[in-house]
Amino acid sequence: MAIADSSGGDALVVTDVSSIPAEPPPELLYHHKTRFIESIRVLWAHREIVYTLAERDFRAQYKQATLGILWAVLSPVATLMIFVIVFSRVKGFGSEGVPYALYAFVGILCWSFFAASLGSGGNSLLSNKALLAKTQFPRECFPLESMLVSGLNTLLSWVPLTILFVIFGRAPALTTLWVPLFMLIEVAFAAGITLAISSLIIQMRDLTQVLPIILSLGLFATPVIWPYSKIPTNFHLAGGHQVSGVLVNGHIVGAHWVGGVSVNLQLVYGFFNPLGPVIAAARRTMLLGLSPQWELTAVAALGAVIYLAVGFRIFKRFEVNFADIA
Amino acid sequence: MPTLPDGTIQVEHVWKKFRADRTAPKFYDQMKRARRAIGSGARHDYRWVLKDINLEVPPGGTLALIGINGSGKTTMLKIISQVTYQSAGRCTVQGRIGALLSVTSGIHPELTGRENVFLYGAVLGMGRQTIRDRFDEIVEFAGLSDAIDRQVKFFSLGMQMRLGFSIAAFLEPDILLVDEVLSVGDANFQQKCLKRIGEIVRSGTTLLYVSHDLASVEASCERAVWLADAVVQVSGPTKEVVSSYRAAVEQNASLVTSNEGVVQVLKVEIKAADGGQVRSECDLDICLTLNAPEAYEASFFIGVSQGTAFPMFIVRHNGFFPAGDFEVKCRMRHVPLGKGHYSLWPAMAGHAMGKGKPLLPWRPVTSFDVMGPDLPRLPEGVMVLSPVYVGSDWQVE
Repeated sequence: MAIADSSGGDALVVTDVSSIPAEPPPELLYHHKTRFIESIRVLWAHREIVYTLAERDFRAQYKQATLGILWAVLSPVATLMIFVIVFSRVKGFGSEGVPYALYAFVGILCWSFFAASLGSGGNSLLSNKALLAKTQFPRECFPLESMLVSGLNTLLSWVPLTILFVIFGRAPALTTLWVPLFMLIEVAFAAGITLAISSLIIQMRDLTQVLPIILSLGLFATPVIWPYSKIPTNFHLAGGHQVSGVLVNGHIVGAHWVGGVSVNLQLVYGFFNPLGPVIAAARRTMLLGLSPQWELTAVAALGAVIYLAVGFRIFKRFEVNFADIA
Repeated sequence: MPTLPDGTIQVEHVWKKFRADRTAPKFYDQMKRARRAIGSGARHDYRWVLKDINLEVPPGGTLALIGINGSGKTTMLKIISQVTYQSAGRCTVQGRIGALLSVTSGIHPELTGRENVFLYGAVLGMGRQTIRDRFDEIVEFAGLSDAIDRQVKFFSLGMQMRLGFSIAAFLEPDILLVDEVLSVGDANFQQKCLKRIGEIVRSGTTLLYVSHDLASVEASCERAVWLADAVVQVSGPTKEVVSSYRAAVEQNASLVTSNEGVVQVLKVEIKAADGGQVRSECDLDICLTLNAPEAYEASFFIGVSQGTAFPMFIVRHNGFFPAGDFEVKCRMRHVPLGKGHYSLWPAMAGHAMGKGKPLLPWRPVTSFDVMGPDLPRLPEGVMVLSPVYVGSDWQVE
């Protein structure tokens, strides 16, 4: 055993290499411990790094483009135009009596934050490889920083939203004040998924290819272009008997089940995809002037918190290897 | 356990393993591995890059890690700075760490020099206000006052490195970890960096220094550790560790090349011309016995080195060398060598080569000791490239 003690004696210590075992004794093995509260505290102490990295990406993103920051406004408008052209003609989507452009745009705003967070945050550990392997600060900073940039971009998209309100001669309802609460749920949900995905992508690069596919699928599986109310509240599972409906004007009306087990699919969906209730609530409060559905909100919030906790856990679990495999 | 004072590094029985496969495994490899894992229970191929490493540096101490590429020096620094984690053992570090593991990794090419100062400073752990206060000093140190508002992608590589180092040079950590970053910029800037490191150390900061540049290691660290084959080979005062490392490097060089070349060295003799000990500034008689398959018109070189493949000086003789066994005798006059251990490197380059094989390749054939005075202690932050001894007479009036 050789101790290099820079204050100690001046003797030259030569290690007896043969005395070193081939493997470390099992009691010395290192186990990475993560304490939740401690991690949060350290992360908070490093918040300035998150801001600085976000500033870096935000500046770099628009620096070379001739139109600069205008793109943050232009790209969601372009998406909206595609949606309006393609989907406003599809029968059965409905927009609950609100102009479709406005109805869809609220959905697009919520979705684009989530998709951008996941898209850039999921790859953030890879794109910051150089820093990851050479500097020391909490690794969560990278996905969170990407989310912050996505958040800033989304905030800029509120400019065209305001313009849309003016065009259609409407004003957001007073219940819009509830929106921050739902944004919080969305941020928690997005953070959980982003943390998990980013820590998985760095170990399995295949996911980089899979992620966009999942995201484009998610766009249609989430009520962005269709109303949340399309999900049945009373979905029959088993038992009971069916009452046949009456044929009115070529539609069957009044067919339903009596007795047996049925579930409120809106609640189930809302738990697994909190983004659904978030979009639904944003539309209800901003466009329809109704107060949120509290049961649905509670389920979505619960789901989002669980996603966040599990995502954080997964991230911390794999954190040990990041610098070695980056 | 009592808490250690700030600036302490304690590494106890640290082990680190890396996956042995070089690239991320493809699907096919994963399947193969899975099958093997089911069969034998072994999960991954891995190799140990650090084995049972123990280091201790007290506050204000200076320690250098030396060793060839891939000997685990950088990994050790990464473990200490918690960029990565050990596989086994314990690593306790008390105090704020400033880790300069790479000079350009934090620099973003699209941003201006000014924006990068704030970015890299923050990444290295400097507060925004601190950076603002020291901004002028940093730019001044980097010598980039004119270019600071330009995008960094229009900087030369040397300018980028200078910017990176300058930011790090104004961190005020309890422990400074420096990994091979002094190969930055021109000789002038290197000198400035060494001086700056000296200042930081004098202010009480603990220094852990990794470099291949042994001269700068000797200039900046009191103690050193030589890592090879994943273990600490030798540790102790820098001078002695470095000389044992140098001896190993030379030995390795002569092993690598001993069978090349057309001309064979049969015997080497070195002695002082007056028959006594080899001393500083004495005349040195060197007698080489060689064998050549044919006669050559060639240049014969003899060089003397200390620990590197680059000689401190070379002497040359052009002439005719006969076939068969022959002797080359050379008298070096007033050899400017201080006390120490040196290697002798002969080489022979023919005028009519072109057969692909050198007559006698450049390699150390023997080593010898010189008695005499020690070289003078260097002023802080100064290193000499060729540690030669020059006798001097002084007069102050």
